[in-house]
Amino acid sequence: MSRKRGSKYAAFFLLPALIMLAVFVIYPVGRTAYISFFDENGTFVGLKNYSKVLTSREIIDLSGFSRGFPLGALVHNIIWVAIHLPLTIILGLSLAVLLKGVKGGSIIKSIVFLGMVMPMIIGGVMINFMFDRNLGVVNAFLGLFGFQAKSWTVYPDSALLSLIFGSVWLWTGFSVILYSAGLETIPKDYYEAAKLDGAGPWKTFTKITIPLLKPITVVVATMTLLWELKIFDIVYVTTAGGPGGASNVMALQMYIYAFRALDFNRAAVVAVILTLFTLLVSIPLVRSVRDDER
Amino acid sequence: MIKKLTFLVLLVAAMGLATTLTVIGPWAGTEMDKFVPVLNEFTRQTGIDVEYKIYRAEDLMNVLPAQFLSKRAPGDVIFMWANFIREYGKKGHIIPLSDVIDSEEYLPGALDAVTADGELYGSAYTGKVKPGFWYRKSFFSEHGLKVPTSWDEFVALLEKLKNMPNLNAPIASGNGVGWPLSDVTEHFLATFGGPELTYDLIEGNILWDSHIVRNGLEKLASLISKGYFGEPTEWTMALQQWWAGDYALYFMGSWITGMVDDPNDLGVFALPGAKGVVFGADYAFVPKYTKYPDEAKRLIAWLCGREGQTVQVSQGGHVATVKGIDLANYPPVDREVAKIIQGVTALPDLDDTIGGEFQTTFWDQLKLLWVSPDRLDDVINVIQEKAPRR
Repeated sequence: MSRKRGSKYAAFFLLPALIMLAVFVIYPVGRTAYISFFDENGTFVGLKNYSKVLTSREIIDLSGFSRGFPLGALVHNIIWVAIHLPLTIILGLSLAVLLKGVKGGSIIKSIVFLGMVMPMIIGGVMINFMFDRNLGVVNAFLGLFGFQAKSWTVYPDSALLSLIFGSVWLWTGFSVILYSAGLETIPKDYYEAAKLDGAGPWKTFTKITIPLLKPITVVVATMTLLWELKIFDIVYVTTAGGPGGASNVMALQMYIYAFRALDFNRAAVVAVILTLFTLLVSIPLVRSVRDDER
Repeated sequence: MIKKLTFLVLLVAAMGLATTLTVIGPWAGTEMDKFVPVLNEFTRQTGIDVEYKIYRAEDLMNVLPAQFLSKRAPGDVIFMWANFIREYGKKGHIIPLSDVIDSEEYLPGALDAVTADGELYGSAYTGKVKPGFWYRKSFFSEHGLKVPTSWDEFVALLEKLKNMPNLNAPIASGNGVGWPLSDVTEHFLATFGGPELTYDLIEGNILWDSHIVRNGLEKLASLISKGYFGEPTEWTMALQQWWAGDYALYFMGSWITGMVDDPNDLGVFALPGAKGVVFGADYAFVPKYTKYPDEAKRLIAWLCGREGQTVQVSQGGHVATVKGIDLANYPPVDREVAKIIQGVTALPDLDDTIGGEFQTTFWDQLKLLWVSPDRLDDVINVIQEKAPRR
């Protein structure tokens, strides 16, 4: 088969996927970016919508740094990433390493993974129960140390943190499973050689396990980051972004602009900002893996 | 064989031609159990089948705009917020009902919220009154408590209740999307600012940081800061806890009469001095994209007319918006509710009437006020930002 003919075949088989991609991904993304520069009457307004959104207290509320929550949806998303991402990676890696080769380890991993299998709407309801004053496991545990029970999700200072810690429980299963699979791919010879050279468990972990799991870490970090930036369902079900916007996040604010204020232009601005953030963070991560492979 | 085949073809054709109307409403559980008999009665009288689907107004808000743009509708008769019906009626997505609904047949002002530019885009079904604080008569008599007749007596009652060892707090606070807290707040505003304040806030004639609004909110915040209101708890759970004796009072609408084990044990009182109570009607409309416009109009006219509303009020928890329904059709406890609203102004629901981003913000800020009453100024400022302004 000639090269030219082969290209034709390739194009033929790619066409359905390309059409789907164009209709369902490229067009909506382009259209969203386009309407973010227009007002509700269809008049071009340049960056006016961006300035309006980025200076609104729903997105960034600097006075919150002296007063307390809310700090604005964008800041809340950053806090979410700052706490949730390292916790998920550290917990996932630790559990995968600790449970490797342990009898019954796969059962424990399956239990941890249940949070991932559960629809996030149900996860949100579960978080509500977990942090509830009367029913919650969190209060039952803290009560052992003399803490007074309260419904953590209804107070501005603890609502966002409750959601973040609840979501760690829901998402850790993902990193556990990926790291467990990654650990199986590391040849045993490496560990045996390190042992012969007198390396202890910590040195083996930091010099062999962690470097060889870097591609897995990049996948876990990228996927987790994407999940954190688009987080919506858990927040919507548990606190609806409250109280007083104390647990609001960008995706929820986008929803409020679109379906409460019926202002699709402002909603498009939030969508574009979220997309840019995602690209900004995920591209360097993917590049670093590609460079390693080279 | 040919006979059988003909019968089969006719049967299939008849099934295809049979009209089944879809009604979409917010009621589930016991509330739905009391609505379904109304639809069944319509089917019995007309032979038109009706299917009921549950959608909260908040969820419909996400679905309907997109469906309307694609000239579709998920139902033939849809219960929705009045401000939505008015807005989308003006945009041409809703069938006008002036030819099947006579506004003279309804309580004064009942259809104002769904009228725009002289056209009627929806109709009022039955309504619910939000009369005040509910209590169990047995609880009050057991503890020698009396219904307060002045603000001072009300505060004294709350103080007495707060000192009772087995109560979580004197008043249960319903949580959820936010409407239980906004109902209490509206009651305080109407009591201390007068019934006209509600209209002024809806029209944007008055600012939220004005003295008159602040006065009502400060009264409320002072009670919250003294611990008279409990921690916000999911409203149906709070209802169970209140009924079980964890709280003494619960501010709710009249639908509560259909949600407790013994409605005869219910008593209710408004804030002393209240001259207005919120009367929230349930509004329905027929979307332009229904397959059966004539049948849908027939259904909405029947539901919102005397026949439909009579069946509904007899189930309990509802108050008619159409004139001429005999009080004998109401269960005894609902007649008590009817007594409360005698001589006071029936007010529209503030946040339902304004709707949109204001409503979401109002609900959310009240959740903050309930746990941080010291942040009243912040709450007022944020609400003011989203409030209508003339």
